[in-house]
Amino acid sequence: MIYSYITPKKKSIFTQEVQLLLSFFTITIVMLLMTYSFLVFKNYSFTQEKKSLSTQKVELEKSLLIMKDKIAYIEKQKMLSETIYTQNIVLKDSISNLFDLVPLRITLSEAQLLKNGLILYGITPNKDIYNFMLQAPLRSIFHRTYSSFYPAKDGWFRFVSTNYTDNEEELDNDE
Amino acid sequence: MNSISRQYIYLMIVSMILFIFVLLFSFLVLIPSGKEYRIKRVELKKLSREFRDYSNFHNETQETLQDLRSKNRRVITAFDATFNPDRFERENKHYFSELRVASLSEPTLENGFGVYEVNTTSQISSPKSFYDFLDGINKSEYIIAINFPINFKRDGEVIKSSFTMKVYCNNRDTNSTASESKKK
Repeated sequence: MIYSYITPKKKSIFTQEVQLLLSFFTITIVMLLMTYSFLVFKNYSFTQEKKSLSTQKVELEKSLLIMKDKIAYIEKQKMLSETIYTQNIVLKDSISNLFDLVPLRITLSEAQLLKNGLILYGITPNKDIYNFMLQAPLRSIFHRTYSSFYPAKDGWFRFVSTNYTDNEEELDNDE
Repeated sequence: MNSISRQYIYLMIVSMILFIFVLLFSFLVLIPSGKEYRIKRVELKKLSREFRDYSNFHNETQETLQDLRSKNRRVITAFDATFNPDRFERENKHYFSELRVASLSEPTLENGFGVYEVNTTSQISSPKSFYDFLDGINKSEYIIAINFPINFKRDGEVIKSSFTMKVYCNNRDTNSTASESKKK
């Protein structure tokens, strides 16, 4: 028995309200998931960057240490070379002063320059010239001066002058 | 009860589920992740700043090293140079009437550098030649210190001289830029 002339419509659960609500839900969930994905990606990227920076820093530290060693070594080389150059110049001046010290009337036959002394061999017309013109200045330079004379054939004297400087430490100990 | 339709009840239930899901997701996942993100970002910024400062310091040190190298190129090369007695004789012969460089000693260690002692005998016409030699040795391609004892002996018109030279070079054990000097 039919009560209506129209055929009944089948009722769906997805009414307009439900559809609207579902779209809203979907958008919300997608936004949440996107935010979460962004955070996860950024956290991963930060971790990677941090690792990379740490590795680079370790490399820099190593390189820096090597460079510091090299700088120290070059400075050491520089200092040593300057000391040696200065020593050579001082030596040159010392030898020059030594030869200037010898008066014209005295002739040197041999000179031995030691680390803490000087030994001179030579010939002098007489002892006085030696004593006043050579020994006096030598005495003012060296702490200990010893001289010995040997008569030469022509009336002149051969001499050996031995001169030493005492180390500062030795002098302090003596005092 | 009949005033609230079944559909509205569904809607309310689904809305509640979403609300609970959003709340749980936010508090359990999103907020901790955000917190971690913020902390990591601050840490990275700090690390980046430190790294930048460190990198600048590294660059400055590199510049200092390069500057030092260029200013002391001659000294560095001299310490690296291999002492060759024949070459030394050839290069310094003009200061002397005669120059002989004896064989090299075994290297010793002094202040972290290798040192060869070289005995030298020579003949000079005047002390000035020796002074010129001492000036020249400071400009030579080796680091050489003239060492005591130094002997000068008159022999007719010439002066015979003998002295010891100390040739400094890099110690091979510590800085292997050094090379072994040739034995004559």
